[in-house]
Amino acid sequence: MALRRKFVPPVQAVRGGWRITLGVEERSLLIRMMGEFEALITGPDDNELLLRLFPVAYPEDEEKEAEYQRLMREELVASRLSAIESVVVTLDPEHTELLSEGEMIAFMQSINAIRLVLGSLLGITDDESADDADGGDSPEHQLYDFLSWLLEWTVRSLSPD
Amino acid sequence: MTNARPDIGEVDGHTDPGRGRHTGGVPTTLQPTEVTDPDLDELAVIDRPWIVLVWNDPVNLMSYVTYVFQKLFGYSKEKATELMLDVHEKGRAVVASCGREEAEMHVFRLHEHSLWATMEQDGPAS
Repeated sequence: MALRRKFVPPVQAVRGGWRITLGVEERSLLIRMMGEFEALITGPDDNELLLRLFPVAYPEDEEKEAEYQRLMREELVASRLSAIESVVVTLDPEHTELLSEGEMIAFMQSINAIRLVLGSLLGITDDESADDADGGDSPEHQLYDFLSWLLEWTVRSLSPD
Repeated sequence: MTNARPDIGEVDGHTDPGRGRHTGGVPTTLQPTEVTDPDLDELAVIDRPWIVLVWNDPVNLMSYVTYVFQKLFGYSKEKATELMLDVHEKGRAVVASCGREEAEMHVFRLHEHSLWATMEQDGPAS
């Protein structure tokens, strides 16, 4: 009899959909982070942490950029909010149904977006600072590493062979 | 595929001069004698395709970027990996070349995935 527990990936592709195998504590941590993320993107839009989430589309044309942002920024906020809403539903410990591909993509987009915010908080602006940030042990570092790990498994479970 | 911009109908990005670069001389002349259009150069500017660029950033995972390229553009894993490595090593890569509306839609979807995407008109600036 095997004494060591078999490692179970946090996200698995199974017949008919995907399954998230995270425990209750990890789920509630993620749900809490989704709430903070929602507050961030619906808060003042001059927050520097938002820069990476709402990038410039036309760096060489101020006029077109203004038009693009006028038309699309709200749409991008709505898209992010809709993804957050889906994640909160699917991470509820009571939610036992398999996830659809759309729900998985909402999950992937949301945890990646939060990684970007944490990356900004940790001052990761280039490959060098990314290396420096590796292995840090502040709560932000740990969350960042946790989300990286989770994202890697999520992408793996979604990727066609 | 739905158009993300409510103000755009079923216009074709390649042929809609109203959405192109305004150079002040859209050929609306009423004089029938001017059959040789002097604004061909301007039309050429309007017709030049737009390119969608993805820029390197230190946070997005390589596997994630590869997956997003496959998913959004239908690229094979090999092609998507090649583009991802271009982004990583050369700092940026052209991931699509198309009409303006389509390019904007690609940029929007890349932004939804938090990739650093921009667009510009291909070729020399007018």
